Amino acid sequence: MAAVLGLIIGIVIGIFLQPDIPIVLQPYLPIMVVAALDALLGAARAYFERSFSDKVFVISFFSNVITATLLVFLGNQLGVGSQLTTAVIVVLGIRIFSNVSAIRRFIFRG
Amino acid sequence: MAAEHDSQNRDSKNPQNAMRHQHRRDRVNDRTETGSFPVIRRKPPLSDLNRNATRSRIVTSVLVMLLCALLGFGYMVQMHNTQSSYESMTEDELRRLFTETSAQVSKLEERKTELIAQLNSIKAAADKQEQARLIAQQNEQTSGILSGRLPAKGKGVTISIGENANHPIDAATMFHLIEELRNAGAEVIEFGGVRVITSTSIRRSGDDLVCDDQIVSSPYIVKAIGDPSTLQSAIDIAGGVGSTLKLDFGATVSVQQSDEVLISSVRQLPPNKYAKTVE
Repeated sequence: MAAVLGLIIGIVIGIFLQPDIPIVLQPYLPIMVVAALDALLGAARAYFERSFSDKVFVISFFSNVITATLLVFLGNQLGVGSQLTTAVIVVLGIRIFSNVSAIRRFIFRG
Repeated sequence: MAAEHDSQNRDSKNPQNAMRHQHRRDRVNDRTETGSFPVIRRKPPLSDLNRNATRSRIVTSVLVMLLCALLGFGYMVQMHNTQSSYESMTEDELRRLFTETSAQVSKLEERKTELIAQLNSIKAAADKQEQARLIAQQNEQTSGILSGRLPAKGKGVTISIGENANHPIDAATMFHLIEELRNAGAEVIEFGGVRVITSTSIRRSGDDLVCDDQIVSSPYIVKAIGDPSTLQSAIDIAGGVGSTLKLDFGATVSVQQSDEVLISSVRQLPPNKYAKTVE
């Protein structure tokens, strides 16, 4: 409930504020968003498994985001930024899929 | 003191009040605390624990909401940002994009020249084909006239041969006449309504001549297209086929020159079964 509410609030704020993010942050924001999405889905899965813990959620959220950003940052320093971005996106995408399938199993018991 | 006195006054009036007062006093007087026993603190009431849980739940909800809001916010910002792409690109990215675009342009230019060359070659081929088609058409006309596939007209002669009933004309002589016309340069020959081609044969059958399975009877009309005077002299020359016909067979031979001899009979030739053209 809170998650959905928060999402809606964030989207509304994003729509109405339309801020210009600094150029330095530009290549990292999509990665951050995907990492956060992964953390959110992991939390949803934990919630369904009745092992949700707010501490773990917060820590995983930030560690996900920071790790992804750092990886891409490292890639940019080494000149393989776009490749590492792809790698991170692929890995997070796989995790998102596995989380979603776990949630689906919990909902449909199949 | 005045209050106590007052209450005592009231107690004396109301026995229930007096009893309550006694109770209060008893509670103070009957205390068992001696100070030698440890004081056991009361268990905190259950409501306190509940309050704690509620608080933690609220904190969790707020945290989740905050993080989700962060995610939604980031998502919307990113979406808004991808819409206006070029302004926010780094110099490096712009340079790469520029290089890519110019490479693409040069590639497209290359492709364009290639295609133009192809177009030119195709045009040339089309011209050549058109020429070939014209030549083929000409060839077709020429060979059509030659092989008897097309009707023809032009300057030439019309020869009329009246047969003497007592002396039927020899087929060989008739064939000789045709040969003579050919030698004189006749391009198209018709014998009694039958187009003469390379395989034409003439034979006698009773009173009539048979030319390529068609019965031809007297008077025999032979049409030939070619130089009229040459053709006429080929027939009328002394000792030629004309005199043979007249003298040997008693036939009448008349040669008429004409500027417009029309030969409308045609022949359909079967395609060659064995002979093939040499490339």
